[in-house]
Amino acid sequence: MAGFPIDRIVFDLATAVAVLFAGVMVVHHHPVKSVLALVVGFFALAVCYVMLWAPFIAAIQVIVYGGAILVLFLFVLMLLNVGSETRSAGSRRPVQTLLSGAALLLFAGLLLGLLRHGGSAIANGSQGPAAAEIAPLARLLYSDYLLPFEALSVLLLAALVGAFVLARREAGP
Amino acid sequence: MIGGIPLNDVLLASAALFTIGVAGALLRRSAITIFLSIEVMMNAANLALVGYGAALGTREGQIIVFFVIAIAAAEASVGLAIFVALFRHTETIDVNEIHLLKW
Repeated sequence: MAGFPIDRIVFDLATAVAVLFAGVMVVHHHPVKSVLALVVGFFALAVCYVMLWAPFIAAIQVIVYGGAILVLFLFVLMLLNVGSETRSAGSRRPVQTLLSGAALLLFAGLLLGLLRHGGSAIANGSQGPAAAEIAPLARLLYSDYLLPFEALSVLLLAALVGAFVLARREAGP
Repeated sequence: MIGGIPLNDVLLASAALFTIGVAGALLRRSAITIFLSIEVMMNAANLALVGYGAALGTREGQIIVFFVIAIAAAEASVGLAIFVALFRHTETIDVNEIHLLKW
């Protein structure tokens, strides 16, 4: 693609921000700061989705993930009044080193797979900006995927009732 | 390529996010942070799904991500309710302190 690759630069910047703030989330020892860092990371991911011609996904990423799920996390954290993580009996240094090594090994494995059979195998099948239209997505969702959609609504209702029952204070005898 | 974005950039970001999520889930001891790490892993999978969907020119990737996000919302509500119930019993959410089922 000739010219200044502005799409790629914006996308790479947004992914860098997302990865950075996900790292901040893991490193911070105060859970409230972890959640707030992840809010920024998820907003950056929404930018990535816009760049990948998925504006609907970007919108529900902001509304559902940033707006509902993470606010629920914050709400629970403030309800429980959880402070910073303190060093407890099971936090041994060698174990942590071993686990970090395992995570790095996983990353190496993913990179290897990426280099061997990554995106190069896929032809350029994208439809351009027309792919960003939301109406065809809605048509697909309410025709071919209607049954999973309805099952999902039942699941959400079950989760609502389950959360209520679990978090309810035990009634007196 | 999706517009000017090579698919490998998407997959690399997805791999990095997934690894950060795995590292967080393995290294941290606060149940809430472990839960957040799992959310990061799900988001990494979502990014790969949207990227592949866009590269292949289909909308199925976005449909799957829609379902994943809705199920993540259900999972978060139930999981956090479990943490609230657990906190009432044990006064902590440190996973090293919670070993009722551990032999």
